[in-house]
Amino acid sequence: MILHGIGASAGIGIGHAVCLREQNLDYTGVVFSGKEEEKKRLQTAVDTFCFRTQAMADDLQQRIGEKESEILTGQIMMLNDPFMISQMQEAIDGGSVAEAAVDHVCTLYADMFAGMEDELMRQRSADVQDIRTRMLGILLGEEAVDLSTLPAGSVLIAHDLTPSMTVGLKREKIAAILTETGGKTSHSAILARALEVPAVLSIPDVLSAIADGAVVIADGSAGEIIVDPDFCTINAYEEKRKAFLEERAQLSLYRDRKTADADGNPYALYANIGTPAEAEAAQAAGAEGIGLFRTEFLFMDRSTMPSEEEQTAAYLEVSEQMAGKEVIIRTLDIGGDKAVPYLQMGAEDNPFLGYRAIRYCLDHSEIFQIQLRALLRAGAKYRNIKIMLPLITSVEEVRAAKALLAACKKQLADEGIAFDDGMQVGVMIETPAAVMIADWLAREVDFFSIGTNDLTQYVMAVDRGNARVEKLYTAFHPAVLRSIRSVIQAAKRAGIPVGMCGEAAADPGLIPLLLSFGLDEFSVSASSVLQTRKLIAGWHAADAAAVTEKAMNLSTAEETERYLQAVHQKEEQH
Amino acid sequence: MVSKTVQVINPMGMHMRPAQLFIKTITPFACDVTILANGQEINAKSIMNLMAACIKQGTEIEIQCNGADEEAALKAAVELVESGLGE
Repeated sequence: MILHGIGASAGIGIGHAVCLREQNLDYTGVVFSGKEEEKKRLQTAVDTFCFRTQAMADDLQQRIGEKESEILTGQIMMLNDPFMISQMQEAIDGGSVAEAAVDHVCTLYADMFAGMEDELMRQRSADVQDIRTRMLGILLGEEAVDLSTLPAGSVLIAHDLTPSMTVGLKREKIAAILTETGGKTSHSAILARALEVPAVLSIPDVLSAIADGAVVIADGSAGEIIVDPDFCTINAYEEKRKAFLEERAQLSLYRDRKTADADGNPYALYANIGTPAEAEAAQAAGAEGIGLFRTEFLFMDRSTMPSEEEQTAAYLEVSEQMAGKEVIIRTLDIGGDKAVPYLQMGAEDNPFLGYRAIRYCLDHSEIFQIQLRALLRAGAKYRNIKIMLPLITSVEEVRAAKALLAACKKQLADEGIAFDDGMQVGVMIETPAAVMIADWLAREVDFFSIGTNDLTQYVMAVDRGNARVEKLYTAFHPAVLRSIRSVIQAAKRAGIPVGMCGEAAADPGLIPLLLSFGLDEFSVSASSVLQTRKLIAGWHAADAAAVTEKAMNLSTAEETERYLQAVHQKEEQH
Repeated sequence: MVSKTVQVINPMGMHMRPAQLFIKTITPFACDVTILANGQEINAKSIMNLMAACIKQGTEIEIQCNGADEEAALKAAVELVESGLGE
């Protein structure tokens, strides 16, 4: 039987299923033993809860970090809330057993939080539910499965992993984690990746589909589960598992190395991120900077504009995390496929050719200036932030944006607010127009970054979301490769650095070309950093130049891709 | 009783972490602490009430302290909110 979910932590896990089913928390058989006695039982349970939770928090803080443990110390404070306790005591005065009092009051608060507008507050509902379940468990003597005593090779299956459940986990005993809920950014996913345990999440009804003790293969990269596999399948996956672990061990050798080709020529290797939290992952993955910080997350999934303070805090968080390293922040790139309801941009027939990114921002300087002010302010402390303007097609756009930036600097100076006066400004090269006038753009800015995802789409005139034409979407097309080459040459002639922040920067087949074109900086997803560093280290400049010469003489995308992939495969075998 | 009106300046408002810090700061004081915000009267020693009030950045709150050590409690509470609640 094969099941599918979201691959949230890469790797292969093979082992026996351990199902964490809901405990039996039915308290209808509990007999009321008097107000005083019930209150005493309640107090004892509260004390036990606090004692255990504090121990878990201490343990978690030591092993994983302060932030994780704050969820648990928060739970202690919530349960000790004078209101919550007194409401439980009132329920007991009214004739309820301690279990019913806990159940009633916790459910009341959980419902209240669940109904709130604020996302952060809605998450508190899960905390109150966790308190309820564990308090009832303590009162009824129904203890949860002790995860610290699991046998080796356990495939942990749960509806969801709660913060309290994960505390006793020993990674060497856990082959994989499977859950019915959660996505790539859920608590379970973050924990699994931190522990380097393969995880597949959001598998519908996995608890009822798999029996305790069944043999399970989990492929955390593909998001696939195989239950009761035959012998051949187990062997095949065992091989895959070994290969994965070997590769991970091999790649980890590159974590603390500088990025350079086989001749020692240095290159910058940065990471692309979408939220401040990802900066930590980028740092851990060995990135030497942030080559693209998308700021859309600040504006999406909410009903009002983020304030200058809120934006400053988010940019500063990344700046601080990466202190001493560059952080390139892209200004708001909404429109196209990323709509923001409260900005009321309206539907368009051709959103990718329409009113988006810099076009919208220059028309709405009141919104754009808040972001520019926040960027200037956030850069004051560590001076490592650079501004990148998206979807540039003309010199006028760059000049207009720089004029607004100058106005913001003047305002901040007049107001006596600290900011980075020397903040560099660059443009994203992602339109054919920008490619054609790259030499003129280079005179206006401090750096270029080639956005290959959009550039490929605009050069090829193909909608990458349209299945009928998507095969035309390829960075191996000579038109795309020539565009990239000419942009890099224009930057070199002007003496400004040039980076690349699209998926092409991590494509093994394209790396020799990018090296020999003279790209200065590769910006890739955090998970591709080590792989890319290894690939770069494998190339001698002369070999890369020879491959580039040959590739650039092929006239079709198909031939070019086939040739470059064959070259990569030959390299791999070395 | 003493009271003072202050503005919440930290970006995320009174969510879990700032609320934890606020409670930790005022619990040692014996006096009653009440917050008036968004038209509600909140017992400021209850983390549940504090979070449930959904106090966001920019909200004006009135902190009232009533009891023996009210002056010291108000001073500590006001300083904490004005400093951005640890954020």
